[in-house]
Amino acid sequence: MSEPAGAGHWVGAALPLKEDVRLVAGRGRFIDDLGRHGQLHAAFLRSPHAHARIVSVDTRAAAALPGVAAVLTGAEAARLSGPIRPLIPTTAAVSDYCLAVDRARYVGEPVAAVAAADRATAEDALEMIRVEYDPLPAVVDPEEALKPGATLLYPELGTNVVWHDTLTYGDVDGAMARADGLLRERFTIQRYASTPLETFGLIAAHDAGTDSFEFWTNDQRPGLTISILAASLGVPQSRIRLSCPDIGGGFGNKRRPAYLLICALLSRKAGRPVKWIEDRIENLTALMHACNGVIDVELGYRADGTLLALSVRDVTDEGKNLVTPSQHNLIKLGNIANGYRIPAIRYEAWSVLTTKCPSGANRGIGKPFMCFAIERSMALLARRLDLDPAELRLRNYVTADEMPYTTPPGAQYDSGDYPATLRRALGSFDYPGWRAEQARARREGRLLGIGIATSVEPAGTNLASYELLTGRRSVSGSAEAAMVRMEPDGQVRASIGDPSSGQGYETVIAQIVADELGLAPDAVAVARGFDSATTPWLYLSGNYSNKFSVTDVGAIVGAARRVADKLRRLAAHRLEIDPGDLELRDGAAVVRGSPDRRLTYPELARTAYADVLGLPPGEEPGLEARFAYQNPLAAPVDAQRRVRSQLVFSNAAHCCLVEVNPRTGVVKLLKYLVAHDCGREMNPLIVEGMVHGSTVHGIGAALLEEFRYDAQGQLLTSTFLDYLKPTATDVPAIEVERLEHPSPFTPLGAKGVGEGGAIPGPAAVANAVEDALTPFGVTIRSLPITPERVWRWMTPGAA
Amino acid sequence: MIEPAERLSIRLTINGRVVEREVSARRSLADFLREDLGLTGTHVGCEHGVCGACTVFVDGKSARSCLLFAVQLDGATVTTIEGLTPPEGLSPLQQAFCAAHAMQCGFCTPGMVVAATELLEKNPSPSTEEIREALGGQLCMCTGYVNIVRAVTEAAAARRGHAGVAE
Amino acid sequence: MKPAPFRYARPRSLADAVGLLASAGDEVKILAGGQSLVPMLNLRLARPSVLIDLNGVPGLDQITPGSDGGLAIGALARHAALASSASVMERAPLLAEAARHVGHPAIRHRGTLGGSLAHADPAAELPAALVALGAELVLRSRRGARAIQASEFFLGLMTTALVPGEILLEIRVARQAQGWGFAEVARRAGDFALAGVVALVDRAAGSSRRCEFARLVGFGVGDRPVRFTAAEEILTSGDPSAALSRAAAAAAEACDPPDDVHASAEYRRHLVAVLTEQAVSQALERLDGARPA
Repeated sequence: MSEPAGAGHWVGAALPLKEDVRLVAGRGRFIDDLGRHGQLHAAFLRSPHAHARIVSVDTRAAAALPGVAAVLTGAEAARLSGPIRPLIPTTAAVSDYCLAVDRARYVGEPVAAVAAADRATAEDALEMIRVEYDPLPAVVDPEEALKPGATLLYPELGTNVVWHDTLTYGDVDGAMARADGLLRERFTIQRYASTPLETFGLIAAHDAGTDSFEFWTNDQRPGLTISILAASLGVPQSRIRLSCPDIGGGFGNKRRPAYLLICALLSRKAGRPVKWIEDRIENLTALMHACNGVIDVELGYRADGTLLALSVRDVTDEGKNLVTPSQHNLIKLGNIANGYRIPAIRYEAWSVLTTKCPSGANRGIGKPFMCFAIERSMALLARRLDLDPAELRLRNYVTADEMPYTTPPGAQYDSGDYPATLRRALGSFDYPGWRAEQARARREGRLLGIGIATSVEPAGTNLASYELLTGRRSVSGSAEAAMVRMEPDGQVRASIGDPSSGQGYETVIAQIVADELGLAPDAVAVARGFDSATTPWLYLSGNYSNKFSVTDVGAIVGAARRVADKLRRLAAHRLEIDPGDLELRDGAAVVRGSPDRRLTYPELARTAYADVLGLPPGEEPGLEARFAYQNPLAAPVDAQRRVRSQLVFSNAAHCCLVEVNPRTGVVKLLKYLVAHDCGREMNPLIVEGMVHGSTVHGIGAALLEEFRYDAQGQLLTSTFLDYLKPTATDVPAIEVERLEHPSPFTPLGAKGVGEGGAIPGPAAVANAVEDALTPFGVTIRSLPITPERVWRWMTPGAA
Repeated sequence: MIEPAERLSIRLTINGRVVEREVSARRSLADFLREDLGLTGTHVGCEHGVCGACTVFVDGKSARSCLLFAVQLDGATVTTIEGLTPPEGLSPLQQAFCAAHAMQCGFCTPGMVVAATELLEKNPSPSTEEIREALGGQLCMCTGYVNIVRAVTEAAAARRGHAGVAE
Repeated sequence: MKPAPFRYARPRSLADAVGLLASAGDEVKILAGGQSLVPMLNLRLARPSVLIDLNGVPGLDQITPGSDGGLAIGALARHAALASSASVMERAPLLAEAARHVGHPAIRHRGTLGGSLAHADPAAELPAALVALGAELVLRSRRGARAIQASEFFLGLMTTALVPGEILLEIRVARQAQGWGFAEVARRAGDFALAGVVALVDRAAGSSRRCEFARLVGFGVGDRPVRFTAAEEILTSGDPSAALSRAAAAAAEACDPPDDVHASAEYRRHLVAVLTEQAVSQALERLDGARPA
């Protein structure tokens, strides 16, 4: 980590956010706020069956409805477009189009589409489309789906298993044999999703004159999406323009090239732009769920609680996901050690297709479940060994002086003091005080419970890990591009290929650039969103895997430093001194030690832009720089199949206090504290907000949220009346304690914070409820923890 | 006797201005505000009345604009987030939201500001519990509510301070 | 999610409203608060051809205290108005408490008592409260008016005694018993209850009996509000506080709760027992003056 080029002090400041000013006034510009002249509105007809052959689709009546401009079927989509390329290379080679062609494979899969004068008319038209289905058996349970003889989603694949492999690091069997004891448990997790409040949406416009396409959308992975769209539409990428406006939350959910394709084809047919805004039912039913699954843990330990070996068997239910299958598995493998020193690790995993909503990179991408399995196992091991759960963890953490520490699967813990984090959490929480209170309460018949869970939180990504799936490398690393430009007036404009969805990029990027260039953040305007025509971007650009601090920052710093260097060169040339004698501060290049010898940025900009004869020889006009950055921690898979699938690691310790109503089983969260270390905090306001919000996501998964399917693959929880999100009355204030152990491997020492509490939150709450139910000897193995389940655990004979 | 109709004319006051339009009977107030009048500050998150993103003031009381049809509002007075924002700058409540970083993506924020405005008008000294209850019908997926509660608490205190009420 | 097409009318008088209702044919729905109906329209679960908006008919939302100590409440009275009305809090506080539990402020500003009754969601609080209060409902059609007891009004899942052409006009409650209790379990504040119980208890002035009158009604535990008559008898036939758990068990036995995504029948039955004890305890405390009225 190096010092900023300018005399900076803005990084680290809790600067109020620039974007908040427009958002609080309702002046954000979200996709549904945009419109193109003459646009049509689309609606999609979706399969009512979890699994069915599509025998025929008759759209004639729909097409004839006044106000309908175009209709599209799957068969047409297959003629007019190419199959959708998967993001993650798999060995499964099947052709999937933007609409279901011969088979529907989940309730809600789009089967046909209509573009009409308005959404209401489009929905009227959908009702006039006649589809003949021949229902097939639904495939709902992933453990059934992977068995021979199971109904197949793709008979041509011969299996529903997209990936199955075992990765072994160290002598797992030997270590288990030598262990003093083995803890074996099975955990299951439900489907849930972060459900951003703004749904997915887009406008697609085909321009017949140039046979090019323009898109506006809240897609989080514009770089990738452009590539997929171009391939399917059969046009060069240079004839696609894609822009992102303000995005109302992403959390990994907003990514569905198929929807953009459908509307692109409709637009081409109709000769007009086509807008589509997902409604909430569609969002909950068909956009993206985090994988549910089953994890079997086997933990080998010494009598003093030292961990010797970990063996995990993981069946991951991907739904109908051929775009990013096995992503959860790789990410879980990368985080499997969860901050502990475990010398031998084995991970056997299945990535299984079922006839349910496609899975995707929901906040945490599988790490919440991996952490749940490990942290629950630690709680159970502590119970078994009669050790305090904190003490057991302290005995097993990788310590600060062991860093950088590489786990057996290849993850590298770069910095952090995990014991200190836990101790801080316990101290601030007043863990001993609440233990005493718990004992008192128990004597009165009240059930208080305290839960601890700790986790590491990786940031950045290295797509080379996909080589574990196929044996070949096609994508790798991760990268981002940024642009910094000083305008003729001496103010600065910056932009980055990663569109913000609430993370405050416009502010924190301004802080970073301000430090590099010796300006105030107010003088740095960061472009909102993304526009492929003007934003610097790469195939790997986008909002994913907590990559901002690891990758994006490098691009911004790199671009800003190029501009800083040029400012020094221009000033040095005019002042006839060495560039090294110049400081950049207060909007000027100032001679070190002689503050009155200075050239302001407007003066330097005049040379760069207007009075260009004054440029040094060989110097280009202008004051603009682009920089694309990849973090050097990313490396290919090695011969032992080890890889850094993510790059640097934050860590956190969660402590929470619950009370369980002994008669109804209702769980109330009384207190929740997070001690958290994400390295250098670039803006503490943003960091704290991320910790609050991500923790509440974890609480939601623990207590409220579940996408439930029946045996026919029908989703029973498809509205906000049935899929329950935490409200302000469901969660206490999340208290935050901060530690700061900067990363030696990121440009500014910052690490990730976006996934945060979503990872250990479910385990912390489950540990607390189990602790409250100690008199009943309950073991919690699955989520969510509903009042009824708690009641059954407390009631003999009611299970 | 009146005849049921598919399109009707309505005349209502929105953010202090009288508006006259002909609308389809099934046009929601939310869509009418956003698409017919360009008042895009009010957001749509669920269309079944649960998330609260669409909350506006109708005749002085908060209501879900996704559960009202524009045709119902003939003669009514509606105030949206645009009407709660002064022509220059931000209201004290909005400033408190910014100071506390009580939003991230901003999608829930207009509805949250409406609900908080109503709370503070009824209850100038709300407890934390009262704030959480008043905002219990406004979903936020980003903030975990902590900073929102802080913002409303601080806005209430500032209001009392300005009114010279001893605390 | 946009509704299927419909025609809309906003009558200005009750006569016009019933006239429209009569002439509009089969596929007609009344729009009151809309908080339950409009989501169904948006989801296309309800597809009326005609929507008759009662919000334009004056005088349907009045809460009128009667000289007999009771209340006449217009069907369009909003939940928020019930929750904060001084007369309701004085004469039928159980009703105010029930109204407070419906949704959130924005929902309560529009949702109406009549709408809640006509919608007849078995998990709703207000229908159960009115059954417990022995309310009388006044229905109006072009043929005239008729009155029906709340206990006769709810016929099954989301099904009431309203016949085509009828509007629920007014709800009349007598001054309620002094002892009242309300208990429910919901997943989150403002949600429909998994189960709930309302209780009313009273005794004659100067009576030595602890409790001579009891009404216990459950919601969320059947296809309509369920009155627990056996439990009531247990409470009025001896010392009610000693008989609490027997009464609770009788109430649990008396219902046939649904199994759904949120809770099983067995759990709901268990909750009925717990909530009966809670509601009756509250009611006895109020009867004894030991709890705020």
